[in-house]
This record gives sequence, C-alpha cells and structure tokens, in this order.
Amino acid sequence: MSGLLRAYGGGLVSLFFGAVILWGALLIILPQMTMLERALTPPKRQLDSSIAGQLERDADTCYSVLQRYLEPAESAPPADGGLAVPSAGGMAVPSAATLRAGNRSYILQCDRATTRQQMVRPRGQEAWLHELYGLPLLAVSETDPIPAQIETAAQVSQLAGELHQRLLTEEADQSNLSLNNFAELVRPTLIPLSDEQRARYDADILKQVYELMGLRFEQDGQVFERIGLIILVRTLLFAVMATLLALVVCYPIAYKLALATTPERALWLFVGLVIPYAIVELMRVYAWTAIIDNRGVINSLLDWVGFIDMAAGEAIQFKRSAITVFVVIVYTYVLFMVFPIYNVMSTLDRNQIEAARDLGSSTWRVHWRVIIPHAKPGIAVGCIATFMLAAGAFSVPRIISRGLQSEWFSQTIYNKFFESENSNIGAAYSFSYTLLCFVVVGVFMWVMRTRLKDFARAQ
Amino acid sequence: MRGRDVILDGVSITYPNGFTAVQPTDLKIEAGEFFSILGPSGCGKTTILRSVSGFVEPSSGRILIGQDDQAGIGPNNRPTALIFQNLALFPLMSVWENVAFGLEARGVSRANRRTRALELLELVALKDQAEKKPTELSGGQKQRVAIARALAVEPAVLLLDEPLSALDLKLRQHMRAELRAIQQKTGVTFIYITHDQGEALTMSDRIAVMNEGRIEQVGTGDDIYSKPTTAFVASFVGEVNHFHGKVKALEGDMAYVDTPLGTFLGRNPAGLEPGKKAVLFVRPENLQFANPRRKSGPGNALDATLERRDLEGAFINLQMRAGANGSSAPIAMHMTNTGLPLNLSPQKPARIGFACEAAVVLPEGQLAKTGREELAAK
Repeated sequence: MSGLLRAYGGGLVSLFFGAVILWGALLIILPQMTMLERALTPPKRQLDSSIAGQLERDADTCYSVLQRYLEPAESAPPADGGLAVPSAGGMAVPSAATLRAGNRSYILQCDRATTRQQMVRPRGQEAWLHELYGLPLLAVSETDPIPAQIETAAQVSQLAGELHQRLLTEEADQSNLSLNNFAELVRPTLIPLSDEQRARYDADILKQVYELMGLRFEQDGQVFERIGLIILVRTLLFAVMATLLALVVCYPIAYKLALATTPERALWLFVGLVIPYAIVELMRVYAWTAIIDNRGVINSLLDWVGFIDMAAGEAIQFKRSAITVFVVIVYTYVLFMVFPIYNVMSTLDRNQIEAARDLGSSTWRVHWRVIIPHAKPGIAVGCIATFMLAAGAFSVPRIISRGLQSEWFSQTIYNKFFESENSNIGAAYSFSYTLLCFVVVGVFMWVMRTRLKDFARAQ
Repeated sequence: MRGRDVILDGVSITYPNGFTAVQPTDLKIEAGEFFSILGPSGCGKTTILRSVSGFVEPSSGRILIGQDDQAGIGPNNRPTALIFQNLALFPLMSVWENVAFGLEARGVSRANRRTRALELLELVALKDQAEKKPTELSGGQKQRVAIARALAVEPAVLLLDEPLSALDLKLRQHMRAELRAIQQKTGVTFIYITHDQGEALTMSDRIAVMNEGRIEQVGTGDDIYSKPTTAFVASFVGEVNHFHGKVKALEGDMAYVDTPLGTFLGRNPAGLEPGKKAVLFVRPENLQFANPRRKSGPGNALDATLERRDLEGAFINLQMRAGANGSSAPIAMHMTNTGLPLNLSPQKPARIGFACEAAVVLPEGQLAKTGREELAAK
C-alpha cells in the first residue's frame, strides 16, 4: 500500500481504489443483492397491498370517467377528438358521442372496481379480498344509474385506499421472506405418459440417471420429474462437456502457436483464429444454421456423395443433436480457451522441452510432464472462462436447436423472467445458477490446484 | 558407465534458410575423452553438438556413436545426454525428481528412481538438497543438479553446451575442476562446447578450434597453444602479437620474414616458400627485454617504446609501440612481476626481443576478432 502511494501518489491511488470499490459495489454486489432480494420475496404486484392499491386506482379512474356523464354537454370535448382519461392499466377513452347518449359504454376500470378480488396465493389455495379483510361486497354495476355507479366507485376507492395504507404499514413491519421461489426449482411436475412412451423413457439411460439423482420418481403409478433441476443439471453437464471439447481442440492449437511454429506462421494462424471474432456473435452463430440445416451445407455434401437422398426427404437432423450445440459453442468461444493457454505456454523455455526429449521422453511424456504442468494455470483459466460462457450461453442453444432440443438453463431463466407471471422465480433461478457455477469453478480450481494468483500469470 | 567414441564422417549441416552452419567435417572423438570444441559465437560448434544429440539431422555425412550410425534416431533414443547453457532444469519438480526424470522415461519404478537419484546427488554433494525446488538452489548447485540429471541416464557421451558461462569467475574455476573430476570418475566421453579458451585449455584432453563452420585444428591444449597451424588458431587461442610480411629465406625448418619492423626468424610448420605472404606470431610472454651487456640476444630484436603499463598481480602487462614514431600496432608484453622497478619511460626506446623457436610463421588468413573489434561489430 505504502509502495503504491510512493509510486503513483495519493491522487491516483485513491482514484484506483475508488474505481475498484465502485466497480465491485455497482457491478457485482448490488446486482447480486437485488437478485437475492427478489429471489426471496414474492413479486410486489402479488402482495395483498398491491392488489388493494390497484383496486383503489381502478375505482378512482372509474369514478372520474363516470363524472363526465354528469357534466353539461357544452363542456364536453369536441366530437372529433377522443378524451384522454388518466388510466392506470386499461383502456378508458370514451368518445363525446357515447357520453351524451345517457347510457355508458364498457369501461374496463369500472368492471374491475369491485371488492371481490382474488388474491395471489400458492397453488391450491384461494382467497378473496372482501372475505379476507371483511369488506362489504361492492361492485360498480353497468345497469345502475350513473350517479349510483359513481357513488359505488367512490366507496370502493375509499375502502381500497384505507386497506392499501393499512396493508402497506403491516407489510413493512413483517418480513415476507420465503423460499417459495427457490422451491419452484425443485418442484416435481407430473409427466403424462402413454404406456408406450413410458416404456421407452424407462429404458432411456439419461432418465435412469435422473431417477438415481432423485430428479425423476414414480408416485401412484404416475411419473414426476423435477424439470427445473433436470434442466439445470443437464446444462451444467453440457457446459462441462463443451469445455472439455474446447480444451481438446484448443490445446494443440495453443501448443502449435506457442512452441511448434515459426513466428511468421504463427501470425497467419492468429489471423485465422481472430477473423471470426470480427463478426457479431449472433451472426457468427447464425452462420451455422446454414451449415447444419436439413437442406444445409453438410447435408447437401452428404447428398452429393450419395450418403443420403435429400430428394426423398432424408437428412441428418443436426439441430436435434446436443453435439452440434457443443461444436458451435467451441467455435464461438475458442479464443477464450486458446489465448490463456497460449500466453502461459509461450513463457515455457523451449530448452526444457529439448531437455526432456534428450533424457529419453516420448512426445507424450514431454507434454504430460513438462508442457502441461507449466501450462496448467492457462488451462485452468481457459476452462473456467469457457465453462462460464458455455453455461451462460443463450444465443447458441436457442439459434442452433430452434426449440428442437430441451432448453438450456439460461433459456429457462429468460423464460421465467420475461414470460412467466412471476419474474422473481427467474431471480431465484438465476441466483441459484450463479451460485452453482461458482461451486463448479471452485471445485475445478481445487482439483487443478490452481490459486487465484495463477490467473495473473495466464493473462 | 562407459564412454563411447563419436565419429563425424563428412558431416555438413545446412539450415532450411540456406545458411551452412557446418562445412563438411571429419572428426573422431575417442571413448572416454574430454573433448572441447572451441570457437567464437556463431562458428557452428553448437550446431555440431545438436547434431550429435539428435536435435539436428546432418545435411550430409554420418554420425556414429560407438560404431552405430545415428541417422534417423531421435534425441530421446541416443546414448547421449545434453547439458544446456541455461541448464533447463524443470522448475516445477523437486531436485531429485529432476535427476530421476530420465529414469522415469525408462520405466524405472518410483522407489528405484529415488534411490538412484539420491546416489547421483551424493556424487555431486547435493544429497541434502533433494527435496528442494531448483529455484531455491545457488548457481553452482543448479549446475551440479544438471550434471547429475544428465548422468542419471548413463549416457555414453555427455554433451555440454557452455554450461559454466552463467557462473561467476570463482565458481567457474571451481566447477572446471569438478567437471574434470566427474569425467575421470565416470569415464564418459565429454564433448564440451565453449568460447572460453581458458576452460578448454584447463579441462580438455583434446581441443578442436572452429571458425565459420570449419574445424581449423585439432590437438592437445599444448599443441593448440604453442603449435598453432593456422592464423586463426594462433590469434584466437591466447593473446598474440602478429607481424605481417613476406617470407625472405628459409633456414632448415625455419623461415626469415621481412616485416616493416625488421626481419625475424621463426618456425615454419606450414613450409612456406620464399616470396609468400606470411604472418609471424609471437606470444606476449615470449617477449623480453634484451640484455644490453650480452652480445647474443634472444634471436630476434626490435626497438620499442612503452605506451602503457597495467599491473595484474603476478604479471605486468606492457603495451609497446615500435617503428618510426611508434607507428606500429600495439605490441603486448607480459612480464613476471619481480617487484623490481622497470626503469622504462615513454620517451626512452628499449630493445626487446624473442627467441626464434617461440615465433611461428603461418600463411596469411583470417584472424580472430579482438575484444574491441567484437564490441564494434555489436
């Protein structure tokens, strides 16, 4: 610390530490804390107070729209223009013509302005607002005269407003933390199966593995699967396999670049490696669809060779194969594996390779005893980077499989966030996944005997 | 361990870029010999070493180790072991694992490897350091680990590529003796590459002097030093004064050479004919002051003035100039430091001379670069 101060002065050092703290707080701690908080709570709009609040807003809107029907005609807006009415959630834009007609048109907010509101409760439970909080059963009825409707709307607004305030203070006092969102991850789902499907699935080795892991079980003659966990486990497994494939592909490339070629040739190899990265990732992945499509490059080639007959509708369905996803992931993230290994490997004294050769080692032994131990930090960093990228891959499985394979967990998280009624389940999934990936990385580092300081060497 | 002989039969080595590092060379290194290859950097000595160890295939000719042609045999299958200039110890392995590495490839069990490694470490007096990592050792200790590691595979030929150049002077002198002792104890053929003539002269049974891919002379240290056969060898090994001129006349196996500083008589091993251009070499330690009271001088004599005097402990190095107004190249003289005053001054010319037997007349040829020239070339 004092060394840093002496070398760079107080200004720069405090700027540096400030930036580090800001970085850590804003980009790492804060998002994860938010994620955890969301994961542990039900969504705000599912709270009883939110439902009361929403009811109050709806009743208010209904009230003010209905007021229009009582106003004298001259103050009504011109016939050609619509009336902008403040609206919380629905459409309430009556035209001047309908207002003058004495009868009223359909108003969404008035339809919703009733104390009979269903509360959000866990599956299998049911609760109603008026019963739960002892409110009179009130509803704005279309058939009533307008003044009566206005009166009801005002009452509902009044009651809902009071309840809203009361519930807000109550909820602020009580903690509503729960693991319900996490429970969603392990919840078993009934899988309806015909006998024939059942027999086929029971023979599937993957399903048997799930059964051993408790991810699939039988109860009362029905099959249940913990779908969330199955996708999670599968994705982690696939990410590990894609990482291994990337390692197998990249180690020889890095070796060639670092130790076994002249600088001029290495330059060309580098250019070849880097060029694909000048293309936007989405395009890079999308290009593969042209290759693996049923009528794509590979199938056309096979057809040309005579291996398959495309005219008769034969094709190899690469989109359905997980291996295709691995291959594209390796292609997409190959540099993240090659460069850390290359960087470390290029620091190896070539004399050590020659010394090992000279002492009688086979090529294999030279790699195993000299090059790999030296390159280990680079291999670890490359594996961790590729694993994290593969585990979080979204575009690759989505574009390549086009829904023809089970989704990856990243897709599940996306769906929970943006396409389910409870986005906080997405937060729970995302947080659990982050944690699990950390565990995998930690175990990997322990197995590889990698320490954090090795990462500095690899970059 | 028993050394084997090494034969280079018309070996030449041309690199893919067209550079010929070794001109066609015949050389026989005897079994159990300490053989040095001495030459300036870039002369091809390391290339010869690498071709014997198997990292470089000769472009033509054969390499035989104990009658076995080594063509097509990789470095991992030759009966040689190489000690690298930077030693190339494996930094992630402990000292004993380093030493045992060669045995590992030969399928020796771990327990036996360890026993053998400890024996070898005892030979180089490092048994107590077996569990350390090489980086924890001093320069001389690393050196000895490298030797033990090479000896562990029981090579018939040990190849050493300037292994002492990274050590400081004291340690280097100590290691010379140690290397020589190990060589005699093990009987392994040593091929030692160096640009340091001191190392070559003190340790070797025989020396080959190389220049520009060619072996100029092979012989014992005494031969190389006292009876050089080419101008390059004479100028590369040890310090030497040279006088350019023409052969004037012959007298038996001696020749008179006309130089700008006078006519001198010297040995004529190359059998130069009168009229041929020649260079007469004489070592600084063979120059002495002529006794003015004695009629018969040392043979050859010239007048010179003192330019500089450097004290080097047991020796005094003098730099003289001769010719009209001191126009000649500097002439070096080494004298034993007797403690008596020299009685010389830059103004007063003195007569210096040298014995005819101490001077050698050789055909003109490339001379080794002096230290100053080498610096200028860089």
